[in-house]
Amino acid sequence: MNDMTQPPQRSRTAKWTRRGFIGAGVLAGGALLIGVGVRPGNPVGKLGPVVAGGEGEQLINSWLKIDADNIVTAIVPHCEMGQGAHSVLAQMLADELDADWSLVRVMQAPTDGSYVVTDTIRGFVAPGTLDAPDWLEPTWNGLFTRIGQLADGLITGGSSSIRTTGQHTMRIAGAAARQMLVGAAAKAWGVPAAEISTANSILSHKASGRSAPYAQFAAAAAEQDMPQTPALKAPKDYRLMGTDAPRTDIPAKVNGTASFGIDAVIPGQTMTYAAVRRVPVPGTRVAKMDAGAAKAMPGVLQILNMGDFIAVVADSYWQAQQALNAITAEYTAPESAIRSSQDQFARFAAALDEAGDTGGKEVIGHGDVPAAMQSAAKTISAEYQVPYLAHAPLEPMNATVWVRDGQCEIWTSTQVPLFARSAAAKALGLSKDDVTVHHPLLGGGFGRRLETDYVVMAARIGQATGYPVKMIWSREEDTQKGLFRCADMSRFSAGLDAQGRLTAYNNVFTQRHDPADACDCAFYDIPNKSIRVAEAELHLPFAAFRSVDHSQQAFFIESFIDEAAQAAGRDPLDFRLAMLGKSPRHKAVLEKVAAMANWGTKPAAGWGRGIALTESFGSIVAEVVEVDMTGGKPRLTNVWCAADPGFAMNPDGFRNQMEGGIVFGLTAALYGEISLKDGAVEQGNFHDYRLMRLDECPAIAVEIINGNHEKLGGAGEPGLPPAAPALANAIFAATGKRLRALPIAKHFA
Amino acid sequence: MHRSATLVMAAAALLLSACGSKAEDPVEQIVVRQPGSAAAPGATAASAANDPVTAGKVAFATCAACHAVEPGNASGSGPGLHGVVGRAAGSVAGFAYSEAMAKSGITWTAGELDAFLANPAGKVPGTAMVAGQVSDPERRAAIIAYLASLKD
Repeated sequence: MNDMTQPPQRSRTAKWTRRGFIGAGVLAGGALLIGVGVRPGNPVGKLGPVVAGGEGEQLINSWLKIDADNIVTAIVPHCEMGQGAHSVLAQMLADELDADWSLVRVMQAPTDGSYVVTDTIRGFVAPGTLDAPDWLEPTWNGLFTRIGQLADGLITGGSSSIRTTGQHTMRIAGAAARQMLVGAAAKAWGVPAAEISTANSILSHKASGRSAPYAQFAAAAAEQDMPQTPALKAPKDYRLMGTDAPRTDIPAKVNGTASFGIDAVIPGQTMTYAAVRRVPVPGTRVAKMDAGAAKAMPGVLQILNMGDFIAVVADSYWQAQQALNAITAEYTAPESAIRSSQDQFARFAAALDEAGDTGGKEVIGHGDVPAAMQSAAKTISAEYQVPYLAHAPLEPMNATVWVRDGQCEIWTSTQVPLFARSAAAKALGLSKDDVTVHHPLLGGGFGRRLETDYVVMAARIGQATGYPVKMIWSREEDTQKGLFRCADMSRFSAGLDAQGRLTAYNNVFTQRHDPADACDCAFYDIPNKSIRVAEAELHLPFAAFRSVDHSQQAFFIESFIDEAAQAAGRDPLDFRLAMLGKSPRHKAVLEKVAAMANWGTKPAAGWGRGIALTESFGSIVAEVVEVDMTGGKPRLTNVWCAADPGFAMNPDGFRNQMEGGIVFGLTAALYGEISLKDGAVEQGNFHDYRLMRLDECPAIAVEIINGNHEKLGGAGEPGLPPAAPALANAIFAATGKRLRALPIAKHFA
Repeated sequence: MHRSATLVMAAAALLLSACGSKAEDPVEQIVVRQPGSAAAPGATAASAANDPVTAGKVAFATCAACHAVEPGNASGSGPGLHGVVGRAAGSVAGFAYSEAMAKSGITWTAGELDAFLANPAGKVPGTAMVAGQVSDPERRAAIIAYLASLKD
């Protein structure tokens, strides 16, 4: 159902029209297209409180068009990487529009910094316009610059698509279009608009018995004024929102027609393929390359020493990789003294030693921790550590580029198409306007595709060759030479009073990236708290990983809370519930998961259950992991998950994301480790960078609490953070062994 | 109405002069040949075009990921193909053929190979060769010519 076609290339001859500029217009064939326009003179403020989300995404419009066959197409700016954003955003738009879900299609918005304005208009006034009418001319340059800057904020990440674009743009676009259709029908039928009802893409007037499909009034609707603040539905009126509307992207993925970045082909062009080898240690350079043997190998077209990497371009990918394997090289000496994982953790330890009990940069501080520690009946302390992780998406890094005539065209899987465009433009010395990025479906992102390093590499190769090249990283390259979830170390100490209550909480760690509050557990009522960061050098470059800092912080925090419960002699659930007096939604989620897991019952001998509670990206998630340790190593039997995202727009999709986050988190907790030897990454492929396999995957049950429909949380990431601590806590419950360093499998090797 | 375009160009030029951090050019660029020209090293475009065995050897590169061609027929993911033309399907000793292939009864003539490569799963439903389809008839002919040359 996905329509991945791109609008035609802009023509520089057609003219804008005023109608185009107000945000609605008629397509050839009488179709209607709505754009929520953002432009000087019609700024965001005018869109009122509904759009005042404060994030860049709201300025990346969403649109819809209705064609003559009554098909509604939602034009979605976010990328689709398996998380279901395309479909659920269309679902939100379709609900406000009262559209028939079976007649809704999704189209990926093309990547263009000026798309916000120019593409909206050029897409429907006439296929392709750039030239502005005279009355617009004075604002043109400022408009272009401003939009260009803002539009680079087109990001799919932070579990944000539904709660930003969905809530603040897609719903408005749908509601506005519905109002315009009603207005057009009212005028034609000579009846009050209020008497016209809409359902399933049909307009009806009960008193006169008239009805018509939306398509019939699409053209007339475009003549209606565009409401900037249409009324949105209250939850009681939701018809599609909150339902398991079938995802639009599934059929193409099942029948194999879905096209991912790595599938890119340039029609009519002979494709060539590049295999690449980056320097093994970050920051080093190729000192000497010996390509003698490779030059004579089959299919080889070019061999490139780019300074920071070597590339072979050949007729096929296999030939390119074979020739690359035959190239030997020497590299410059690394500047960093970190050679091994031990060196890296020693850096962390040194930074934490220096910070001590009070040093480092304070992130959270309230009460008087030293005094509370002094007066505590019991104190505990613990140190935790996590290794580097690779994202390991199924689709390795790749990009297809064609650099010619001062222009660069790129096809790639990316979460940041406009960053990719800017980065390629900068690398090639082109203007952004001369770079076009097509971004098909992503075979996994997980934060890795928030980076543009691989796009720049491909663009540089393409500039050197001047003909189309598809660069594909080998799996080994993808595992070893990218950017990584950081390794980290975290130290805690805590004081408990005579009643076993947590009165002092002291924490210091070395890595703080994003989100800013990931290191806190504010929902627990702890009177004296000090959370600090003592920064330490990372050897490997950092990239956000699914749930970013929560991926390590949740393990640290919820493991330590479990240790505090143990020290207090309390049940881990009861200990947590006692601290949730001021957080009723968190309490409800925790109680829910405990009920799902029959927490009060005793597990079989050698089995254990562990619990963890987190809040990330606006969603509250608690998980219980059950583990069977009778075989001497962990066998995961069950995971129960309760989550409150405010309101789940598509519960099936939400559960799917919780399950995915849990599997991702458990995989990382059990096996994930990128280690260093001689400054380089040791792991290479899935045999030594293991994923959790099907037969190891526990049964997962997910239940949703819709706790606040006005304050939505995300779905893509929040399922991950509780998984690791719940597993470690379960192993403790079963064995009495507290695992403070990941990955867990290492303790049972 | 070309003023706007000019303005954009001017803005771009400003941006360009301001950024100044263009990525480096290649340190070393070895051009062996141009794409679409001669196929194999040492072979000219003309000779490759005239010599289907040479063209076939190049086209076979994608097959080589699974199939060895040396005498002795060591098998990888697919059976060795030395002497395949004229041989009975499913007959390389020690290779675990799919039941469908083992029982196909095919003798690999050029015609049978052509039909199989055009649509492996159509010719032998149940074959384990899921990745070998060659849709271009000329490419198939070249590959078969190359395979025919592989004999003692």
